[in-house]
Amino acid sequence: MEIVEQRQGAVTVVRPRGPLVLDDAEVFKSRLGEVMTRSLGRFVVDMSEVPYLDSRGLEVLKETTDELLDGGRSLRLCAANETVREVLDVTDLAESFEFFADATSAVRSFL
Amino acid sequence: MLKNSRDNRSPTGADKPGAAGAQASGARAASAQASPVGRARRVLERGESLIALGGLGTAVVLLAVMGASAWWTLTQQGRTQEAARTEQFKTVGAMLGKAAEGLLASGEVEGLAKMLAGAAQTYGLEKCAVRLPDGSAIAEARSGLGPTPVAELPEAWNTGGSPAEAGGMEIAAQPGGGLKLTEKLWVPRRGPVTLEMIDQDPARILTQLQWRTHAGLGAIGAAGLTGVLLLYRRMRSRLRALGAIGEALSAVQAGESSPEALRISQDLGPAASAWNKLLAEREQLREKAIVERAAEELSTRRGADSEVASACDALWQGVMLIDDQMRVRYANGAAGVLLQAKREEMTQGGGRDVAKFVREAQVLDTIKSVVSGAVKQRTVVEVERNGEQGGGTIRVSVRPLRREDCGRALVVIEDVTQQKVADAARNSFVAQATHELRTPLTNMRLYIDSLIEESDEDPVKRATALNVISQEARRLERIVGDMLSVAEIEAGQLKLQEGDVRLGALFEELQADFQEQARQKEITLRLDLSPKLPVIRGDRDKIVMAIHNLVGNAVKYTPAGGEVIVRAFEAGGEVAVEVKDNGIGIKPEEQEKIFDKFYRARDKRIANITGTGLGLALAREVARLHGGDISLESQVDRGSTFTLHLPARAPASGAVGSGGRAAA
Repeated sequence: MEIVEQRQGAVTVVRPRGPLVLDDAEVFKSRLGEVMTRSLGRFVVDMSEVPYLDSRGLEVLKETTDELLDGGRSLRLCAANETVREVLDVTDLAESFEFFADATSAVRSFL
Repeated sequence: MLKNSRDNRSPTGADKPGAAGAQASGARAASAQASPVGRARRVLERGESLIALGGLGTAVVLLAVMGASAWWTLTQQGRTQEAARTEQFKTVGAMLGKAAEGLLASGEVEGLAKMLAGAAQTYGLEKCAVRLPDGSAIAEARSGLGPTPVAELPEAWNTGGSPAEAGGMEIAAQPGGGLKLTEKLWVPRRGPVTLEMIDQDPARILTQLQWRTHAGLGAIGAAGLTGVLLLYRRMRSRLRALGAIGEALSAVQAGESSPEALRISQDLGPAASAWNKLLAEREQLREKAIVERAAEELSTRRGADSEVASACDALWQGVMLIDDQMRVRYANGAAGVLLQAKREEMTQGGGRDVAKFVREAQVLDTIKSVVSGAVKQRTVVEVERNGEQGGGTIRVSVRPLRREDCGRALVVIEDVTQQKVADAARNSFVAQATHELRTPLTNMRLYIDSLIEESDEDPVKRATALNVISQEARRLERIVGDMLSVAEIEAGQLKLQEGDVRLGALFEELQADFQEQARQKEITLRLDLSPKLPVIRGDRDKIVMAIHNLVGNAVKYTPAGGEVIVRAFEAGGEVAVEVKDNGIGIKPEEQEKIFDKFYRARDKRIANITGTGLGLALAREVARLHGGDISLESQVDRGSTFTLHLPARAPASGAVGSGGRAAA
């Protein structure tokens, strides 16, 4: 799975490209862990290129936001498509995340 | 009352407390010596009952009274009977005397003997005899024997007495008990005789009678006492239990509530067991209530603590509490994140040294000065951190926990990196924008001044001046437009005014706009457009701005003699606009950053080239708003290729695409 990292100011925008499923979700998880440590929590996940995700993908997002919640942070997701939003809504996980329309507004939320 | 009960304690084994009671009393013996409660406890545990003792005593007293009453009654009866017997003895003697005188007068000795025998038999006389003055018996009878006949009655035996002496009766007590009656009689014409009667011993009769009566009473008494004892024995434990329960209830009324003090001996039977069971249940309920209340209080307190902890953990800022030994007494989750440590580790064992987690000397000094009391107001320090520490800037605010309490410090840590970056970018933008705005204004002012001063200038120069002013005004307009767009992006209000965009016409305008600029810089600007470009759906002005920024940058950063090629083509459901130059190129590490707002590449070669650092940020934003993006390929000194990707969505009006054309 290709994961693009982009810095916007002091914020890292992580953009996975492709569905968050199976082994790809694991790859994404370990990458997120690195980014989290490196950026002290100053990162957002740009979901614009994630068409859908499976249960493992959900778990990865949930585990990451739980870890961030312990430090007074939460996972900021931006540009999630309708399918992804619906999955998060149906599983009652949507409340665990902060949603933004795009990466810019997500980055701005760190100000 | 309790003291008396103790004093009445019986030393017998039956009165010893039960096994449980014995153990309990043994353990408490020392403490129970002096206090009234201790005495009461011992008494109650022993299970002695005043009611039981009272019942037994009453039974004994009643029996004694009954016995005494019976004895007195019998004694009185004996006396009465003795008097009656004496009276009867006299009456019989008088009767027999009269009859004997008559019989002897007629010489019927045998008749006399029979009469005496009958009287002895009837009245239970030991001896009954009629004697002559010389002592010889005329007739004699004994109890249980027949008459003793006398041979002959003398004709006369007058010994000088007279009839006047007859009738005298004497009763005397016999030496061995009993009565002896002696009556002098006078037999007409013959002489005096004596009637002698000896009664059986009345005392013996009485004694026999009393003995039987006493024996009967004794038997009844013994039977009664045995019955009472058996009943007492049977009722004793029950009575003792009831008594003990009564005393326990009195103790409860007096304010005693300890179950140990109120417990009674198990030996006292089912009532005692039931009472102890009630006590145990009451104690269990009381303990349960205490435990529940304690649990409730604990949970309330924990709830409050956990709410505070949760609130602190929800903070974005790191919060630490440092004690006078510079130990971390508390750290919230964010503090752990910002100091790159596990907070459990920070507060381990009463708190570890804060210096293990905060490495910046400036911050440590500040904390020290606040903890030591040297500084009493809030102190804020901002420190840059190196890459190992996560980079960026943290703002640490330290203040005493309480103004009067210098021993502890509250440390709040904020990550202000993004704010710092944004501030720096804005400052840079203001500088750049000022420069950008001033340049066209200066040009415009110069040309306007020349027009004013040289009003008779020839038409060609005048046209040139006006053209420059127009260009600079448009440049100014674009700059202001970019700034407005950035403001809209910042406010999240950048919206698309969607319509049909004819790409062919768009490129014609573009060419007109840049041709002159390229010529002046001696750059070749070439448009290589697909022969049939589609009409797409989108915001024309924004798309023009995006392409304008890309081409403008290419022209701006390509040195003289260079070439800028603009290609537009449709492929894979999207329209791509490729702007390729052979200019200075962009370093790999800056290829993403140049899309940040206000960012300008750190390259000495462009130091003199003005720019707001907004163009590419805006272009990418526009592309993304349309559902597309901008990609970049670049090599330093070889040139860069920016490609704007836009989805080739069908136009709402069904307009037909127009052909593009190449231009030099």
